[in-house]
Amino acid sequence: MTTISLTINGKAVGPLEVRDALTMNDFLREVLGMTGTKFGCGAAQCLSCAIIVDGPDGTSATTPTCVVPAVEFDGKAIRTIEGHAVDGRLTPLQTRFIEHFAFQCGYCTPGFLNEGQVLLERLEKAPVARAEVERVVAEALDGHLCRCSGYVRYHEAVRDVILADPARFLA
Amino acid sequence: MQLSRRDFFKQAAAGGIAITVSPFGPVQAALGVARPFLAHETLPEASGPGPVLGRIDGAAKVTGTKLYASDFRAADMPGWPPQTRHALLLRAPDATHVYEGLDLDALDPSAKPDVVVRAADLARVGVTVPPFYAGHLLCPEGETPLYLGQPVALLLFESFDAFDRARLAFRDGALLKFGPETGPQTRPNYAAYRFTRVAGAGPDAPDLYSPIQAGWISPGFTEGSGRPIWAPLPVSEGGDYAQGAAHGEAIRAELKAADPAVLTLERAFATQSVDPMFLEPEAGLAWYEPSGKVLDIVIGVQSPFEAAEAMATLFSAAQPDSRPARIDAKFAYVGGGFGGRDHTPFPLYLALAAMFFPGKPVRLAHDRFQQFQGGIKRHAFAMRSQIGVDRASGRIRAFAADHVLDGGGLANYSSSVAVVGATGAIGMYSVPKVDVTTVAEHTRGVTAGSMRGYGTLQTLTALETLIDEVATALPLDPIELRRRNALPTGGRTMTGNPFSVSVRAPEILDKLEAHPIWRDRAAHRQAARPGLLVGTGVACATKDFGTGADCALGSVTIDAEGRVAIHGDAVEMGNGIGTALANRVAAHIGRRADAVTVAQVDVFDALGLVTSGDPYAISQADQDAAARDPRWVPAISSATSASIGAHVGTQAAAEAARVVFRFGLWPAALALWGIAPRDPRGKQWRDAYWQADMLILPGLSPLPLKAIAAKAHEQGGVTGAMAHAFSRWAWAEATFALPGEDWTADIDALAIRRGSGGFERLARTSVAFPPADYNRIGTAFSSMCGTAVRVEIDRATGALTIAKAYSVFECGEVLVPQVVLGQAQGGFAMGVGYALLETLPPFEDGPGNGQWNLGRYVVARASDLPLHTLEIEVLPPLSPREPPKGMAEVVMIPVVPALLNAIHAATGHRFQSLPVTQAMIKDILA
Repeated sequence: MTTISLTINGKAVGPLEVRDALTMNDFLREVLGMTGTKFGCGAAQCLSCAIIVDGPDGTSATTPTCVVPAVEFDGKAIRTIEGHAVDGRLTPLQTRFIEHFAFQCGYCTPGFLNEGQVLLERLEKAPVARAEVERVVAEALDGHLCRCSGYVRYHEAVRDVILADPARFLA
Repeated sequence: MQLSRRDFFKQAAAGGIAITVSPFGPVQAALGVARPFLAHETLPEASGPGPVLGRIDGAAKVTGTKLYASDFRAADMPGWPPQTRHALLLRAPDATHVYEGLDLDALDPSAKPDVVVRAADLARVGVTVPPFYAGHLLCPEGETPLYLGQPVALLLFESFDAFDRARLAFRDGALLKFGPETGPQTRPNYAAYRFTRVAGAGPDAPDLYSPIQAGWISPGFTEGSGRPIWAPLPVSEGGDYAQGAAHGEAIRAELKAADPAVLTLERAFATQSVDPMFLEPEAGLAWYEPSGKVLDIVIGVQSPFEAAEAMATLFSAAQPDSRPARIDAKFAYVGGGFGGRDHTPFPLYLALAAMFFPGKPVRLAHDRFQQFQGGIKRHAFAMRSQIGVDRASGRIRAFAADHVLDGGGLANYSSSVAVVGATGAIGMYSVPKVDVTTVAEHTRGVTAGSMRGYGTLQTLTALETLIDEVATALPLDPIELRRRNALPTGGRTMTGNPFSVSVRAPEILDKLEAHPIWRDRAAHRQAARPGLLVGTGVACATKDFGTGADCALGSVTIDAEGRVAIHGDAVEMGNGIGTALANRVAAHIGRRADAVTVAQVDVFDALGLVTSGDPYAISQADQDAAARDPRWVPAISSATSASIGAHVGTQAAAEAARVVFRFGLWPAALALWGIAPRDPRGKQWRDAYWQADMLILPGLSPLPLKAIAAKAHEQGGVTGAMAHAFSRWAWAEATFALPGEDWTADIDALAIRRGSGGFERLARTSVAFPPADYNRIGTAFSSMCGTAVRVEIDRATGALTIAKAYSVFECGEVLVPQVVLGQAQGGFAMGVGYALLETLPPFEDGPGNGQWNLGRYVVARASDLPLHTLEIEVLPPLSPREPPKGMAEVVMIPVVPALLNAIHAATGHRFQSLPVTQAMIKDILA
């Protein structure tokens, strides 16, 4: 057993004692009741369980939670799908997902949303040329599985957020 | 025999079980989750005039709101004890040795279950297995499991940690003890049918023989191997079978005759087993409260009515201390279905977990290994097809085929899939002589059942690759060959009936022929870069929608403020049914609903429905007798499957909305306009239309819905309607006495609300149910789709890239264009996976061994697909009044044979099995 503390969506969580083998996915879903993060495969293959880890250097990255023990998140700051909207106001990416009918059943949406958000934040710091947009979107989202949508509308939604704000995302 | 809800209440006297289905109440807030979605399904900002801007469930799905059955824990459920316990369903990885029990001694003490439920325990309490799931729910110790993945025990845990440890400990199956080898258990086949049709001399002449005329036939008995005897004829029991089989054998003899004027090809084709791979593994939460004897269930399935029935049956004859007085079911959203959650046995195990852990909320949730091991699969087909084509005209003279389906361990939908695959086997073609046999076999594999494409995917892949080969052999352009054989409007299908919906094969073919992918195929082939092989393929499909006994429940109410609420019984599984309901109703009453509640089967009590008999097998005499009861309908609620969402799932609500408009809003509008009832304009309700939320009648001032609604309430007009619709390849039609008018509509039950009063049932004054012999129809509802693809294949590696693709289809009225396009894009992706990537081996190496997960099982990722070069075209409806047609399945079919035809065009090789992997392509290029 290990005692962990972490920051989730800007709120301090812990200290809590957890079993060393407990996955982060089960920590979120079973211990905290935060089921916005999904369980899909338990093998880091579908990434419906992906969350955002905010590094101390200001960079962010997604990570699967289904195969990573919760203890590895001790001291870290993470974001989940529950933390994107602020005071009920949806982010541009959330809004575009809805407008584009990006998802159908929606079970994979948390992973796509987190991955897309990390990409947007990366592009804010390191904009790319217009011609590169479709490539960087494809590379960012490719690890995520969706069984309903054929992916087209997810990619369009992320691309449209980028193209709608060229001063912010494009070089 | 399908029980009605009322039958449950009859059972209440005998079995002590009532069924209620209640909506979700307020959910306790988890971190950052403020309110439940399911209690109020349309966001306030999403309601209003005009089409829906996003899915009605859109905001919930991008904010992580608790929505799916797997999201809910006891602490989320008002009135439940807060602690969630956990259940682990253990399944056998072996079906050829005697199961001897669990080796619990080898389990670490920290992983010990608190309760172990074995087959003997089920026998002790007296559970009844619902007929659809016939077979032991848990394999008894001392018996060989009936199939790989058959459950053997249910372990119940007080703590999550113990459950989590046990889950890992049991994963490799080593803690299940097996004894002597027995070989697999044998069981009779699930079904065997023969569909034979011989057309008359001309298109208008009656058939010489058809299933519509003679009924469906089966050889009726089997030889020692378990296979049916198709020929020689079983003389002693021939009867009707003998007549059909004689025609069938004559067709086969004709195909075997060496007529130089006829090109005859005979080919084998095999398709694989695959998993629906919906992203949310099956899960649910249940709590049996022993003092009140109430079993509360939270679950997500495609067939809520059936699940409720099955759970009631399960305990109907149980010992008093194990028999709930009431089952209260809450049906959550579904994280993908694709057929795999239609008639799944999972709810039975969830109910058992709660019953054996009384007083304690318990969660049963598959992980992905367990979902592969126990979830419903697609049938693998082995097919042999013969086709005879007149060389001069390019017209198909005859077609014969033999299908063998691997149904796996339980019957489930195997019989139905066999029928649909067989009766769809000639696709969109007019073929005068057809003879198709099909048999669905029991095997020790994981149970196969419903999955998107449902038999037709398999048989049309075999057909459309065969058609391509015929075109090459004649030779004739593949699209021209299809055009010459395309089923005309009014043309007869294999069962001898025409489609009763639009038939648009010529338009589909014209679109494919004119598309640059097809038109420029030679140029692209010639311009291939060194090291690449380029090929273009085309294929078409027509796919049934509906099952021949489909129904819908729906209600629409409008309050004095003009707010609209809809209830429906269809299930949201990504299909956008709630959004479709909102849009279809808005067309009649001018406003998107403020609340749409789906998966409801229990809010329609006012209709007072009763049912009896099997709607698929009822005789005309029985139907006529039953229909004298004005409350009788052939079936009460259907699964959300078979692509029926748009056509059937929205029908009852749409008709309810028409009643609210005609008898509530329209009289109110007349009053506001000052038009006297006898004024001729009072009859012009069909000429009125909505623009934004204003009702327009040319020449008069537009009226806002809110004012009309207020007036309707003030007048005591109809402000709510509730309806039931039934389709057996045609709608049941009934007449009801409404104020000042006998109202005839495509519904068979109606209740109305006046002002703010309660619903009151209106007895129908007449009804016409579709004739019972419509059950001989294979399908009368079908949608068509064509696909063209260009592939590029790396000569050295065999790697295939889809360079460009185009799918064109028709589906009548498009209720939610973005959902329709999204389903077409998703269907294309699923078709690509089926054609090139996905496969599950049968038996011991397959998913029943418990060792399968993603990674080993490969589905299409974005990088496998032509995201930016996939073009989808939806043909506009034939007329503004053409009703919606199902399209969710047909869009995944033609891409599969089109890819195989493209691979042939590129490589010269015809693959006769699926999937066609990179390694296989590399092999044939070596």
